[in-house]
Amino acid sequence: MSRPEVAAPGAEKAPTGDLRRQRRWALWSAYACLGLFCVFFLAPPIYALVTSLKTSQEIAALEGNPWLVRDPTLANYAALLGSSTFLRFFWNSAKVAVIVVAVTMVIATLAAFSLARMRFFGSTALATGVFLTYLIPETLLFIPLFQIFTWLRDVTGIEFINRWWILCIVYPTLTVPFCTWILIGYFSSIPKELDEAAIVDGASTLQLLLKVFLPVALPGLIAATIFAFTVSWAQFLYPLAFTTSLDQLVLPVGIVTNLIKGDVFNWGQIMAGALLTAAPPVLLYAFLMDYYIAGLTAGATKG
Amino acid sequence: MAQAAAIGGALEERGASRGGGLARRRARIAFLLCLPLILLVLALVIYPAFYSLHLATLNKSMTRFVGLANFAFLFKRETFWMVVEQSVIFAVGAVVFKALIGFVLAHLVHRLPQRGQRAWRGMLLVPWVIPPAMSTLVWWWMYEPSYSALNWLLAGMGFAPVPWLGDPYWARFAVILVNVWYGAPFFMIMYLAALKSVPAELYESAEIDGANAWQKLIYVTLPMLRNIIAITVLFSLIVTFANFDIVRILTAGGPRDMTHVFATWAFKLGIESNDIPLGACVSLFMFPILGIAAVFILRDVHRRSRELAGVAA
Amino acid sequence: MTRWHLSRRSLLLGASGVAVAGAMLGRPRGAYAAGKLSVGFWDHWVPGANDTLTRLCREWAAKEKIDLTIDYIPSQGNKLLLTIAAEAQARSGHDILAMNTWLPGSHAERLEPVDDVMKDVLAKNGPTNPVVEYLGKPDGHWRAVPATPGSQMKGPASRIDLLKEHAGIDILAMYPPDGPATPAAEQWTWDALLAAAEKCHKAGFPFGIGLGTTSDNVDTWGSLFHAFGARLVDEKGNIVVKSDATRAALEFAKKLAAFLPADAIAWDDGSNNRWLISGKGALIFNPPSAWAVAKRDAPQVAEKVWHHPAPKGPKGRFGPYLPYYWAIWSFSPNKSAAKSLLAHLSTREAAEQLVAASQGYDIPGYLSFNDFKTWNEEGPPRGTLRHYPPTKDQILSIAAAPAPHKIAEQIYNQATITKMIARIVQGGDSIDKAIAWAESELEGFMRG
Repeated sequence: MSRPEVAAPGAEKAPTGDLRRQRRWALWSAYACLGLFCVFFLAPPIYALVTSLKTSQEIAALEGNPWLVRDPTLANYAALLGSSTFLRFFWNSAKVAVIVVAVTMVIATLAAFSLARMRFFGSTALATGVFLTYLIPETLLFIPLFQIFTWLRDVTGIEFINRWWILCIVYPTLTVPFCTWILIGYFSSIPKELDEAAIVDGASTLQLLLKVFLPVALPGLIAATIFAFTVSWAQFLYPLAFTTSLDQLVLPVGIVTNLIKGDVFNWGQIMAGALLTAAPPVLLYAFLMDYYIAGLTAGATKG
Repeated sequence: MAQAAAIGGALEERGASRGGGLARRRARIAFLLCLPLILLVLALVIYPAFYSLHLATLNKSMTRFVGLANFAFLFKRETFWMVVEQSVIFAVGAVVFKALIGFVLAHLVHRLPQRGQRAWRGMLLVPWVIPPAMSTLVWWWMYEPSYSALNWLLAGMGFAPVPWLGDPYWARFAVILVNVWYGAPFFMIMYLAALKSVPAELYESAEIDGANAWQKLIYVTLPMLRNIIAITVLFSLIVTFANFDIVRILTAGGPRDMTHVFATWAFKLGIESNDIPLGACVSLFMFPILGIAAVFILRDVHRRSRELAGVAA
Repeated sequence: MTRWHLSRRSLLLGASGVAVAGAMLGRPRGAYAAGKLSVGFWDHWVPGANDTLTRLCREWAAKEKIDLTIDYIPSQGNKLLLTIAAEAQARSGHDILAMNTWLPGSHAERLEPVDDVMKDVLAKNGPTNPVVEYLGKPDGHWRAVPATPGSQMKGPASRIDLLKEHAGIDILAMYPPDGPATPAAEQWTWDALLAAAEKCHKAGFPFGIGLGTTSDNVDTWGSLFHAFGARLVDEKGNIVVKSDATRAALEFAKKLAAFLPADAIAWDDGSNNRWLISGKGALIFNPPSAWAVAKRDAPQVAEKVWHHPAPKGPKGRFGPYLPYYWAIWSFSPNKSAAKSLLAHLSTREAAEQLVAASQGYDIPGYLSFNDFKTWNEEGPPRGTLRHYPPTKDQILSIAAAPAPHKIAEQIYNQATITKMIARIVQGGDSIDKAIAWAESELEGFMRG
């Protein structure tokens, strides 16, 4: 619903030259402002890229412009991509993220469907309350959680601590509330007539969910999926606390703890590692940006 | 999915055989659909939180129950009140700037021609998509005392190098800056969508009434966006208040404990100084402060939603 | 614990099903008659140093027929600290974990006493240095076995050329490449360092001594405090920070801090390394890690770096030593195997190999081991590590000693010493005000 007058710069307009110049000037100053912010937002990743292409000698040298590379090298990337440790981190992150996304989507979709459409004792409280789980932060929870998993190990004989799949159990606590909230917003915006039409046609609750809701709410589902993936991929504290062995680590922890040994920092590799870690969420987002933004903001328009 | 269907099916039969009404049966199904969520939250959030509460009442070696002694001890420490003040400054300061910048950016992008918006939106959202631990590493490198690329730029413009992480007030600024950098795009995206949903007629009728741009902002835009502003601010306050990664990686709470927030100080006391009950005690303080803020904002949101619902119906 | 509203039978059936599946998919077990052992070692930054340790362990494991799992845990990001804390809480995890400085003391009750192992080891190797004994024997029992990897001296690493040109100090004359310290070394006092710091600061190459809260910083200023005889808490647990010795130490620190980089208060363990490697600084307090990296990245700097003992103060020449240990949890199911492994790693041959693999960074805690060839031969410049291991005229110290362990650990981890100095230097506190603040902090540490 943007104002038609600002549709395209330079198009033939009825207004007088004065007004047109004013609007052109407003537009260009908007571009300038946005450009400045873009520089601010994109400077760090670009600097990371620049650093990752430098040799450690060049990084250690103080002369010259740090924002430029004089002797670009792919050695840092080669070192990481050729390292089985790093690839292991990547694989672990991928496994965890995929599983967590699946679990999150199931739990969140079922719950959102129920809370958006049906009533039971405490459902309104739950809908608002689910958000409040974020009030209890990870730094508070990781030690008691450790205790719980040890107790579970004693009861069932399965080792949880220092296994990558423990992350699949704890990450959903971080992703499910927000995904549920997004989906509630999205589901609420689906007109009730669709429901009624389906029920009249004899659909059960489950068929209603699968055949009517999910297809219509697809953008919201995709947005929730991307969000769940991004959050799982980026987690730092829980894996830092729960996984120790090199073959169980995920990327963020692996990069931070394995490329800095004692007091020796390997900045070129750290930056390369940071970029490689950032790559999957960024790529996913680049391709599915519209869905992501649409789903994320469905809640916004519902108020 | 099959399990849900089985449950659903079984319950339908049971419901029918009991002769319960359609409403009762739907309520039961509704509850069951929410059950995984409820169980997840109970087992992995609520129960550990209560266990933490129990931990906070133990002595340092966790052998004796000492009641509220840990809390009393904290109240007497100067550092504790510093941490409270710093956490509030950090959370409120960062959220205010994020909201403002997001708001401004949303307006700027909104005024662009339709086809250009997508690219700008895409570029501006990048900070939020990069894992925060990774981007904090990059900022750390940019702030590094010996090699700071930012100081190099400043030197080029004729300014003295800034001790980004060395001076307490610059360090606070540095930490807030990283958080704002990371979070402002989220606000921008939300406000942009909300702006798009404001009906053009409202602006047009305001113009007819002779309103200028500023008045349109105050009397049309802000009221329409009040709910989304409240929700984003609440969500961001919660997340920023509990922030651990940024402070930990950039300053570890220094210099002189002047950038510690609850999460990092709890970590320092609890894990690094081997006093887990005291650490649990510190983290627990986050909860009531956030809870009060949440209650107020959500009450406001609910009231508005009911108003809107009433009007719409 | 929580009561689950599912039938216990279904839970156990399900769980055992998963357990069986897990076991079938798990690693095939060989003929490991003597059981399993899982160890967590400190991840050495020197590339390849871990491999030597792995090899030594595997040799032992093959001989003893133990199924051995080795993890290398870095100390960065406090990963090692977190692991130890988590395992202590959960009472499960590795059998052996690397622990440094105050950790054996703070977890003493949860560690298996190793007096028996140490009796044999000390009989063969001779005594350890006093710091190793103080930290490893927190309650009269040896709670951990001294480890070679990671144990280090945090003495100065200086730029030979800059000290000579700007401060007029010929460090090579004091600590020559081919022999022991000369009488000229008696002039290497804290006052001499202060004068040199001023001159180098004026010349544009300040000393890079951090005032932060990480261990490099705390160790350095801790040794200064010892050199002045300043203590925070005595052996009996009394707070004695308010003393003339402390005031003298703080006065000195205030003077020295004026010549240090402006943001030294925010330095972590790596900042001083980068200060030296970038060529900006004339002196840092650091083990050879900075020099070793400079060899690769800035050889023109590295070939001018010299490691030597710390300066002498009114109460003596105190050198900061940071020991690592290997500790066995009391919940370990295979303690005898663990003890056997640690004994195997504590022999002179093992230590010599580890020191060589670390390029001279590691300094074993046994006094008789301080004569390995590696230190004399490492370079360039050749002999830079000759004076790195402790010498007889140095008293090895650890910051916060002689306080009781649990209190000392807090003093160390909370960096009370450097924070006192920071309050004076940056916060503008008077010396008495800083001491008063320290007193209130120390009272807080007294809590049980």
